[in-house]
Amino acid sequence: MAGALALAVLLAVASLHAEAVWLDVPQSGTKCVSEEIQSNVVVLTDYSIMYESHPYSHPTIAVKVTSPYGNTLHHSENSTVGQFAFTTAEAGNYVACFWVDSAEKGSGVSVNLDWKIGIATKDWDAIAKKEKIEGVELELRKLEVAVQAIHQNLIYLKERQVVYSTSL
Amino acid sequence: MARWRPAALLVVALTAVLSAARRADALSVTVTDTECIHEFVPYEGDTVSGNFVVVDHDIFWSSDHPGIDLTVTSPGGNTVHTLKGKSGDKFEFKAPKGGMYKFCFHNPYGAPETVSFYIHVGHIPNEHNLAKDEHLDPINVKIAELKEVLESVTAEQKYLKAREARHRHTNESTRKRVMFYTMAEYIAFVAASTLQVLYIRRMFSKNVGYNRV
Repeated sequence: MAGALALAVLLAVASLHAEAVWLDVPQSGTKCVSEEIQSNVVVLTDYSIMYESHPYSHPTIAVKVTSPYGNTLHHSENSTVGQFAFTTAEAGNYVACFWVDSAEKGSGVSVNLDWKIGIATKDWDAIAKKEKIEGVELELRKLEVAVQAIHQNLIYLKERQVVYSTSL
Repeated sequence: MARWRPAALLVVALTAVLSAARRADALSVTVTDTECIHEFVPYEGDTVSGNFVVVDHDIFWSSDHPGIDLTVTSPGGNTVHTLKGKSGDKFEFKAPKGGMYKFCFHNPYGAPETVSFYIHVGHIPNEHNLAKDEHLDPINVKIAELKEVLESVTAEQKYLKAREARHRHTNESTRKRVMFYTMAEYIAFVAASTLQVLYIRRMFSKNVGYNRV
């Protein structure tokens, strides 16, 4: 029964092409992930509980996202599935924390976290439909956007290098 | 019109296959003992690549940084990749089978360390995956290969970013140490000077009885 359910969940994940990592949140305590993000960058994140580890119970989690200056960007409780999106106002370390808030006992919870930043947040299906491009043209457009993002990253790293060397 | 339908279907199928290539951004987790990240690899033979950097740690000054261990476990429980005692490295391997792979960072020291990691699962279509199609469109294969090359450039940039953050932390730590030692040195100088002044004044202020005849 549990094996079949796990197989079904895995097949569903495979069919959805989930671009996500899977975190283990302990029963007590908090699990946090963070990333240094520049300003004016779009962040889009989906999270959901992987039920294969709890086939007969329904735990819920709480989520809190904070900015480098301590502002709370997202806060939800008693969630099994959720999504948050924001545009970064300041550059720094953005932290997303998860913890179990249901009263059920047992082992920890596995959370599927799909954390997308910048060009990864683009909805290519909508773009393809709106501009009526498909196939090779759509793929080339994706490559063009990826190259532009790499170029912007190089400029950013070069600027950091200048600031870095002058501050010594 | 009907002549283009098989090619269009082939392009759609290849696009669906190409969409299996995904990118995870460089997230950071705090590792106290062992921290595991799971990543789904859809196809056997996909190239799994990535990097990790220890950005910051709470180990006290006198201790050296022992590094961190990375172990990659396949869905069947076998260890497919291992790195020992690294403060940052890249890894790349071919997935022996599809499924949920486990990337475990082990911190042998026990003091919390912040690890920035990036994992990418790349897929390039080949004859094995598209055996049903009578011929493979070379343009789509070249596009997929170009996509993987761009993805490796992006991964390299994320690696450089994480290393820059680590260097920034190192320089900040060095600056704090230099400031601390400098202040301690100043305090030592002031204390020595003050003690010298007090000692000399006490020496000259002593009353010595002179015996007069």
